[in-house]
Amino acid sequence: MSARSLAALAAACLFGLGSTTLAFAGPAPEEVERTWTNMVLLLTRHTPTYSPPVASRTYAYLTVAAYEAVAAGSTTLQSLAGQLNGLTEGPRREPGAAYDEAIVVEATMAPVIKAMFENTGPTGQRAFQAQEEKLRAATEEGVAPDIVQRSEAFGAAVAAHILDWAKTDGSPEIVNMGFPTDYKLIPGPAHWVPTSNIVQQQTPLLPSWGKNRPFAMPEGASCPPPPALEYSEDPNSPFYKQAREVYDTKNSLTADQAAIARFWADDPMLSFTPPGHWISIALQLQQKEQMPLDKTVDMLMRVSVAEADAFIGCWQTKYTYDLVRPVTYIRRLIDPKWETLINTPPFPEYTSGHSVSSAAAATVLTAILGDHYAFTDTTGGKDNLPMRQFGSFWEAANQAGISRLYAGIHYRAAIENGLAQGKCIGTYTVNLKTWKSPNA
Amino acid sequence: MRELARGLAVLVLTLAAGLSARAEELVVPTFVDETQSAGVDSTFTGQWQYMVGGGVATFDCNGDGFPDMLLAGGEKPAKFYVNRSTRGGSLSFELAQSGLELDAVTGAYPIDIDSDGIMDVVVLRVGEAVAMRGLGACKFERANERWGFNGGDAWWTAFSATWEHGSEWPTLALGSYIDRTQEIDPWGSCTDNWLERPAASGGGFAAPLPLKPSFCALSMLFTDWNRSGTQSLRISNDREYYTGGSEQLWHVEPGQPPAPYTAKEGWQTLKVWGMGIASADINGDGYPDYFLTSMADSKLQTLAAPPAGDKAVPATFKDVAFPLHAIAQRPYTGGDVRPSTGWHAQFEDVNNDCRPDLFIAKGNVSEMPDFAMKDPDNLLLQGPDGKFVEVGDKAGVASMQIGRGAGLPDFNLDGLPDLVVVNRNHAAQVFRNTTADAGHWLDLDLEQTGANRNAVGAWIEVKAGDFDMRREVTIGGGHASGQASWLHFGLGTMADADVTITWPDGTTSKTFRLAADAFYRIAPGAEPAAWQPG
Repeated sequence: MSARSLAALAAACLFGLGSTTLAFAGPAPEEVERTWTNMVLLLTRHTPTYSPPVASRTYAYLTVAAYEAVAAGSTTLQSLAGQLNGLTEGPRREPGAAYDEAIVVEATMAPVIKAMFENTGPTGQRAFQAQEEKLRAATEEGVAPDIVQRSEAFGAAVAAHILDWAKTDGSPEIVNMGFPTDYKLIPGPAHWVPTSNIVQQQTPLLPSWGKNRPFAMPEGASCPPPPALEYSEDPNSPFYKQAREVYDTKNSLTADQAAIARFWADDPMLSFTPPGHWISIALQLQQKEQMPLDKTVDMLMRVSVAEADAFIGCWQTKYTYDLVRPVTYIRRLIDPKWETLINTPPFPEYTSGHSVSSAAAATVLTAILGDHYAFTDTTGGKDNLPMRQFGSFWEAANQAGISRLYAGIHYRAAIENGLAQGKCIGTYTVNLKTWKSPNA
Repeated sequence: MRELARGLAVLVLTLAAGLSARAEELVVPTFVDETQSAGVDSTFTGQWQYMVGGGVATFDCNGDGFPDMLLAGGEKPAKFYVNRSTRGGSLSFELAQSGLELDAVTGAYPIDIDSDGIMDVVVLRVGEAVAMRGLGACKFERANERWGFNGGDAWWTAFSATWEHGSEWPTLALGSYIDRTQEIDPWGSCTDNWLERPAASGGGFAAPLPLKPSFCALSMLFTDWNRSGTQSLRISNDREYYTGGSEQLWHVEPGQPPAPYTAKEGWQTLKVWGMGIASADINGDGYPDYFLTSMADSKLQTLAAPPAGDKAVPATFKDVAFPLHAIAQRPYTGGDVRPSTGWHAQFEDVNNDCRPDLFIAKGNVSEMPDFAMKDPDNLLLQGPDGKFVEVGDKAGVASMQIGRGAGLPDFNLDGLPDLVVVNRNHAAQVFRNTTADAGHWLDLDLEQTGANRNAVGAWIEVKAGDFDMRREVTIGGGHASGQASWLHFGLGTMADADVTITWPDGTTSKTFRLAADAFYRIAPGAEPAAWQPG
């Protein structure tokens, strides 16, 4: 064994990896995961089918793959097989054989990304290929050929196992960017109608997404929120008052409220999307905390699974109630020329996706890093959105939720009940058993 | 027989069924693909750096009045064709050596830069943009050094030009795309667009001014959007590659640094996969309207608030594509229902009914499976109620090739705009407009002495019966494709029309009554001169 390998072995022990696991002086395996996850955020933004639900699904499969690949050789982590719905036991490592964790992570994540983004454009394909070549060269440098071969083969096997699992979740094929061409709108003033003149968006996004198989929660309806407010056009009704609150709030926004609305806008194709925003936060935390590999794969997997379940649960709710958006109601009954601050998303209102997904993320991150974990979020920096500071994950989640009222696209009930729904959904992910030792 | 032909050519189209009681006859134009018989064989090809671009420049360079053309070849040298068509006859082109046969060409725009009466060409390339000086008889030579034109080193994808008031030389805007050295994270790497203004010393150009911020421009157009007498620079940007960007409108005022319009001036954030700009006054309000191509939904913008009194017109536009049925978000024929990808757009009255029609070149970026692979080009006819009706398939221009740039000059000078479309990795196509029952027409050419020979920035008003048409003389727009040929007006049933020119210096000509179905050259202070080919 070379001096480089010995040094790596010491590092492996320090990071809780199995005794037959090696790590070399190239990029650390957690750095490989961070690099690929960053690339996935970029691809999300630049792949037109990547609406928030679709993005959340990809993140979950990708990070579960990385988790399972690492857990298979870890002294600290245990497999999620039998815990996540439909996930069976995956490939095992050869007993006593040496593996390089960076190569394992690279070889696991690359094929999953390639499969999930096979529809991305020529620039995305070019970027993926360049990233893969660079990472592969960096991780394999100085590693014995038999270890390279074994590690790559194992990573590829885990990837194939996860991709096979993904095929069985009932997710619809994404055609027409997720807008069905044969959807019949539900008649009646309480129900959703298109909110823009974009021809493609005259039907709502992914109406069957709530029927997908969730990851950690039993089914899409496992965390039902209270029923949506009863529709009414009576100015004294709770429904009208909530619409009026949206109207009045948006019309008198402070500069900070407007900044908050834009910070959390997370529009698909113009950002990492809402689930990607929370993945971005997790990546920032991983770097800040200098998390080792086991904690890295655990945190990214938990945030991703919680996000994916949040979008399934939220979409199940959205198409149960099919509630009309504020802009439609307000223009009909209060002010025909009223404009929202940001574009109204093209799907029903109740519950708020931002609220559900942010609460789910806050739930798992709080469980990992604590109740009063202060952090700075720099996600929007490249888009000239100033960084924002938070005293806790729940402060961030609550702000993400209320940002949708400021933006004029959600009633308060969808936010408050959405946050509660997200907390419930996130708890299923918190309850996953990942550590072999409870004190890890 | 004539009646039979008329019956075949004219389809009764009910416009906005259920919304309008009027059923109007629209003359559906007919086009014939004459690519092979015309002798045109050119393909725009290349790898990643040629996924955008693919333009064609159409202009007369030998003084016979027939538009010649330069077709971008991408990795292959561009091809130049001399127009050998005869009036009203089949299209005919002859491949010729002009000096314009550069490699790495993405697009080209004709412009008489030195105002010598001979058309020059700005050639956009992956690498250095090149200003080619016209020598006459369709010969050109490089003039970057002679004119102080800085061609830089970029992925050049857009161009427009204007003559600022008081300038002897044009102001050129060059639009660039991605930093092509960035492989892993090219997003957010948009390189600077440039403004090349006349040199203070007179003659040629000063050092380029970067237009910061730049957001990966795929089309630029100097246009007098508010009829102030000064053209502003409209830029359509590809949101795929910018961060924090949007569509742009720039002040370009003489003696002042360029400055983007702001929200306080009414300019609203719009983020599209901007690929092409077409401009025409489609609603008769006297102001130019803009069609912006994109992926899936395109935009058709009109001024949101009509001008009132002396108050400045807010730079606010509203999207009327959906209510006016100017929609092209997915294929209308061929069975592929995935979203479309639009590139070059251009308004021309192809059936001479006094209403601007809209051609859109379509084609997948490059094997993007979520978007249509069989994506027919569009031809949207504007009807009497202002709404558009798709007739691309009926007209014979529903090409399923991978469209990029295009032009609609009248190649055979029969008073009907013809069509050339550049396709990526497929042969370019030329179509002859053979519409049997088109209306009367008028083709005009503005000629000034001194600077700005072709009167860029002028407005032409043509009144024909109940129709009042206005057209701005511009250089730019489309997708990497420029056209400098006869300015075409359909006149419908009218045997003549009243024509008034507002010249770039703001002076207005007297109104001339001109007989239909003829060509006229018009100069300031002079009577229009009828012109005939040959």
